[in-house]
Amino acid sequence: MQGFVATGLIGISLGAQYALLALGFTLIFGILGVVNFAHGGFYVLGGYLAYSAVTFLGMPYALAVVCAALGTTGLGYLFERFALDRLIDDHLATLMLTLGLYMMMSSGILVIFGPQSPAFAFPLTGVIRGYGFFVPVENLVVLGICIVGILSIYGLMYHTDFGRALRALADDRAVATAQGLRPTVLFPAAFALATGLAGLTGALVTPILSLAPHIGDPVLATSFLIVILGGLGSVGGATVAAFLVGMVEAFSAVYLGGSKGALALFVLVLVMLVVKPSGLFGHRVRGA
Amino acid sequence: MTARSLSTRRDGGIAEAASVAVIACVFVVPWVSENPMIYSLANQMLIAITAAFSVYIMLRMNLMTFAVPTFMAIGGYTVAILGLRHGVTDVLLLGVASFVVPALFALPLGALVLRLTGVYFVLVTFVLTEITQLVLFETPGWTGGSNGLVGMPAVTFFGIELGDNRAVLLVTTGLALAGATITAMVTRGLRQHFAAIEENELLAQSLGLVVWHYKAFGFAVAAGVSGLAGFALVNMLLTAHPTSFSPLSSVNYIAYAIIGGKGSMLGPVVGGALLIWAGEIFALRGEYSQFLFGFLIVVVVLAARDGVVGTIYRLGVRLVSPGPSSSSLKASPAALRVPTATEPQP
Repeated sequence: MQGFVATGLIGISLGAQYALLALGFTLIFGILGVVNFAHGGFYVLGGYLAYSAVTFLGMPYALAVVCAALGTTGLGYLFERFALDRLIDDHLATLMLTLGLYMMMSSGILVIFGPQSPAFAFPLTGVIRGYGFFVPVENLVVLGICIVGILSIYGLMYHTDFGRALRALADDRAVATAQGLRPTVLFPAAFALATGLAGLTGALVTPILSLAPHIGDPVLATSFLIVILGGLGSVGGATVAAFLVGMVEAFSAVYLGGSKGALALFVLVLVMLVVKPSGLFGHRVRGA
Repeated sequence: MTARSLSTRRDGGIAEAASVAVIACVFVVPWVSENPMIYSLANQMLIAITAAFSVYIMLRMNLMTFAVPTFMAIGGYTVAILGLRHGVTDVLLLGVASFVVPALFALPLGALVLRLTGVYFVLVTFVLTEITQLVLFETPGWTGGSNGLVGMPAVTFFGIELGDNRAVLLVTTGLALAGATITAMVTRGLRQHFAAIEENELLAQSLGLVVWHYKAFGFAVAAGVSGLAGFALVNMLLTAHPTSFSPLSSVNYIAYAIIGGKGSMLGPVVGGALLIWAGEIFALRGEYSQFLFGFLIVVVVLAARDGVVGTIYRLGVRLVSPGPSSSSLKASPAALRVPTATEPQP
């Protein structure tokens, strides 16, 4: 029973991390209509920026996380503003652009930092034990930050003018533009917000899991699973699906072993795509 | 689709014939060189080009596929299992099996996934490659799991063993030639149908074209061509291993087709040969070649949408006849009319 509860807590922690990651992915698709193949790359970059800030600049970890998030935000803004924006309505072209960027990012990191995983540990360690459960401290801290991050995104999207403007652009760009909203300003900001979330997740999670140049590949696959399951472009769907995936992953790792749980999830998502492409909570998706 | 790519495709079957001819020329290599480096390079190029043909076929229907490694794995493992467990070594039988089995596998799959278009089709094929990878690891009884299938016997041609470097290159060339010929026949024979689907699937359907017939046929053929590439890869490595068919290797095959140019069959040939050559000759292995591929994808998508072949073609047309070419490049809507949908279907 103790193991069951502990696994559940790990699953919730994983789900929160995935939610923070997938929110960025689904925001980009929902608002810009872009499938961001570079999302895993921004996650890895966030991890390496935080690692560099701590190791080479001697920053405290918390400040390094902020710097990593800001760094990926800035890169995302520049990429959207000067590359993606020119082809924003062409789904396949934007997909190829982000794919190209991902290849450049992951190989650039590999060239600079080498293939070995650097020693990048979470500053807090230990285990909290309670009646019938135990949970690592770092998982709890990350869980807390992720929940704050998720709630902030919800607040931003549903309770600010910026969020309303983004949602208006996602609903009907022509009408929103006629009402005075400026896609050339808001789209780069939305992309930057999403890549910042990926960088933040990378900086928070890689000290617990692992940091290596190619960990973006499974992260990208997980993001795909979550947004397809939840519904491409659906913020609520992505959050629910992220926790679902986190729980399945945690329990299958403990009780099934190997990659059987992942296989089951992928098959579930394949069936979902074929039967209901819009996902559990998705609506009609523009251009897809 | 641009007027440029349309005009590229209307130049008879020159691109298709040239692609087949270029690949056939590789048969000469074993007789003029004994350099193992050249053999290795030629093998890699031909496998890359054959796999890129699969991407090209699907792009002709405006479908971006990440499923190439899946069908390569099916073709490759079919050959390995036939050789190891059933003693089948005849190259012709294995070649047919490596084409037919993935194509048959693609037919029921296509019936499901070809209802999806655009981003959804991209995602479903990406998920498919992830599933393939996991299945390969999780079924050690069939596929050898993480060890793969090793110790395959050399393939034979009418009893003659094709085991040395020279013979392996000949087998790869033969498979690539078969892949090129099939791709040329299908894309040439159905060019108008594919163009109609690419231009406007709904319109083509409303004008009487049974779209899903052509999409399913194209998907099955693309799968078969991937299977041929899988056979060539397994035969070259003498092992069938999951890592040879990793999901992200599909990115490379897409890169070959896009950077070479998706408007003509010469695109995958030029793209595959150029990028493999660049990676090897400039010693840009692994991470460096990935950076180069990524950079080239970004440049091509931003600055030269028609890829290397399309851009050279466009520049050539401008140089030869600047007046008429500019008018043809700015084709009227009538020139962009899709003729296929109104034509009798086979």
